[in-house]
Amino acid sequence: MARVYRPELTRALFGTAAVLAVTLTSGSALAAGKDALLVTIAGDAASLDPHVQWDTDSYTVYRNIFDNLVTRNAKGEIVPQIGKSWKYLNDNEIEFELVDGIKFHDGTPLTAQDVVFSVQRITNPAFKSPQLSQFNSIVEAQVVGPNKIRLRTSSPYPALMAQLVKLSVVPEATVKKTGDVEFNQKPVGSGPYKLVNWQRGVRIDLEAVPGYWRGKAPFEKVVFRGVSDPSTRIADLRTGKADVIRNVLTDDAPLIAKDPNLQVLSVPTERIGYMFLNALHGPTADVRVRRAIAHAVDRKGIIDALLGGYGKMVNIVLTPANFGYIDGFQGYPFDPAKAKALIKEAGADGAQLTFITSPVYDQRVVQAIQQMLGEVGLKVNIATSDQPTFLKRRQGNPAEAGNLSTGNWSCACQDADGVIYPLFQSESIWSKYKDKDFDAAVEAARTTLDEKKRMDAYRKAFELLERDVPGIGLFQGVAIYAARKELQWAPTPNEAFFVFDMKWNG
Amino acid sequence: MTGFLLNRAAQSIVSFWGAISIVFVIMHLSGDPTLLLVPEGATRADIEQLRHLLGFDRPLIVQYADYLFQLLRFDFGASLIQRVPVMDIILSRLPYTLWLGGCALALALLIGIPVGVLTGLFRGRLVDRICMPIVLIGQSMPTFWSGILLILLFAVELRWLPSSGAESSVSVIMPAVALGALSMATYARIARTGVIEELSKEYVRAVRAKGVSGIQVVLSHVLRNASIPIITVSALEIANLLAGAVIVETVFAWPGLGQLAVQSIASRDFLVVQGLVVLGAFTHIGLNFVADLLYGVVDPRISLSRRDT
Repeated sequence: MARVYRPELTRALFGTAAVLAVTLTSGSALAAGKDALLVTIAGDAASLDPHVQWDTDSYTVYRNIFDNLVTRNAKGEIVPQIGKSWKYLNDNEIEFELVDGIKFHDGTPLTAQDVVFSVQRITNPAFKSPQLSQFNSIVEAQVVGPNKIRLRTSSPYPALMAQLVKLSVVPEATVKKTGDVEFNQKPVGSGPYKLVNWQRGVRIDLEAVPGYWRGKAPFEKVVFRGVSDPSTRIADLRTGKADVIRNVLTDDAPLIAKDPNLQVLSVPTERIGYMFLNALHGPTADVRVRRAIAHAVDRKGIIDALLGGYGKMVNIVLTPANFGYIDGFQGYPFDPAKAKALIKEAGADGAQLTFITSPVYDQRVVQAIQQMLGEVGLKVNIATSDQPTFLKRRQGNPAEAGNLSTGNWSCACQDADGVIYPLFQSESIWSKYKDKDFDAAVEAARTTLDEKKRMDAYRKAFELLERDVPGIGLFQGVAIYAARKELQWAPTPNEAFFVFDMKWNG
Repeated sequence: MTGFLLNRAAQSIVSFWGAISIVFVIMHLSGDPTLLLVPEGATRADIEQLRHLLGFDRPLIVQYADYLFQLLRFDFGASLIQRVPVMDIILSRLPYTLWLGGCALALALLIGIPVGVLTGLFRGRLVDRICMPIVLIGQSMPTFWSGILLILLFAVELRWLPSSGAESSVSVIMPAVALGALSMATYARIARTGVIEELSKEYVRAVRAKGVSGIQVVLSHVLRNASIPIITVSALEIANLLAGAVIVETVFAWPGLGQLAVQSIASRDFLVVQGLVVLGAFTHIGLNFVADLLYGVVDPRISLSRRDT
């Protein structure tokens, strides 16, 4: 009975389809201009005020807008930037001489007072900077000459220079005139690029500053776009919507490497993939069990099978990119038989261990470790929770903290003080380990500027960590980028993304 | 009718209060928000100081009262991460989601309903047997997968459309198709069932007997009666579109509320997340309220019968 209506309805349907087809074909692919560098990162910047956020997406953009007091060269050494030279007056005081004639993008000259203001701004507790704990050892900053400033720390602080690598200098007059909220929207720096437009969530446009004091910037324009899906970032790269992308997954890297137009750029970072063992509670309070666990975990297997080879094996809880790294520690080689023997000796056969974790951490690694420990006779229960709950347990009482967990630690300071002090010093919230000698060693290492004394103290500290195993270094993290073949760039271990250091080949 | 409206409005307000209270409880009892905001290596003193500055050390009941009072003034606070009022952040992203959701809904309606009506009219015939499996495949494909397939085909291989973003006017096409595909299938199935049901009713035969042409029967009688379930489903589908936008916007880097939600969760910007959840609850409840009103417009018998209850 229904067949009567066919012509009208079919025509209507075809009409809709035709409209859709026309719309679809009218699209066009975007071509990349050679004078512009198109960058796809994982997300929009949270803040472009360099004193607010220190997350990858934000600093990837804003570090190109600002200059820092000092910086690191390709070898990782700390070298001058705004601070032309420096000398320690005593263990607590350091004096910087500044480069003369630097101008901010709005034309105002960069003065010693701007540097002092920048230090005071980021260390002011009322400003609530998430970076406060990196700089709050500085208790006083003052101008002591036309191009001279002096910083005073509460005690000798050896990681000071490493922290100052991240101190962006902002113009006092502009910040005071526009206010903090406005400055975050329209930041003004002295760096090689200035902000032209920030369309939140869509794109950020930077433009080269003519007459930049360190030389001519390599690209006229730089465009940053946030794309959170890793596969879409790769599609951007393949379609020319991006020239370089950040945060490439280990699984995707081999495919990109096969593309003749693309390249994979990777670098070992200061980020340490580590495993925590609760030395104060449960079966892991027995050092033999902790040593057994260290023998049972096949670190090379994890790197090769799960990380696609993008990780470097370490035998201590620190990477070679950090000051304080000591070569030659043997650690605990993969040896399931020895692990089983140690567990038997400790009477821990079949012991139940709680492995606390959250979706933030790579669950493949967690499950692999669970299986490895199962094979030597330890029963591991994985307790997954949301991140705040995980942190509450991990940082809380030893009795609540479970027996095991994994983490990826980076202090963004490339110094052992930012890694093993917070992780294992007995008063720290992360530590579930108590050893007077260890505490003394890391304390000694943070209160002297003498590098030799510091290294000696860290050698002692790592010997104790190897003996007591409150944590295991699993691997040195690797940052993976992908780019068009023509881009020439050597990424650095501190994961900085200075466009100034990149260029087109030929 | 007024009594019914007041009753439904009161119900909506109570549901909304319940929803925002649950949001508060989840945000504050599952863990300490301060712990998410401090960098690695922060000391206990650093955490205490920040907790005090943010007011998280006040009694929960005080924080709750403060939270309700703020919401009454449409104040979601200022993002601790972006340092911008949450309302401004949400409002800057809202147009993108409305545009994407609108396009997806239009696609779903313009394709889904004709397909549903057609397959209903030709039930069991060739059109039905070709269209329904296609519709079901559309509904079964997860958007994070179909989205990537679309990108690979139309952006990487054919180079017709941009792979991500919202900078060009054609950027909306792929996300709208990916997002609309889900609802399209739902509309097609509901319309098909509605048409089949109505066609079997006595009044259709009566109208036909009066000499009304076939096309007129469908347009002015069958479709009108079959539209009641479509309205009900629409209220749910618009809410589903907002939820689906979280995935689609992430895959296509579309700068709407869904992408904002994912980014805010990733950057631990919990006041923005809270604002989005509250807004989502408000939308859900509001849409259901509007759907209730629309029933009365489409079918006067519904408001009549409800006036008695």
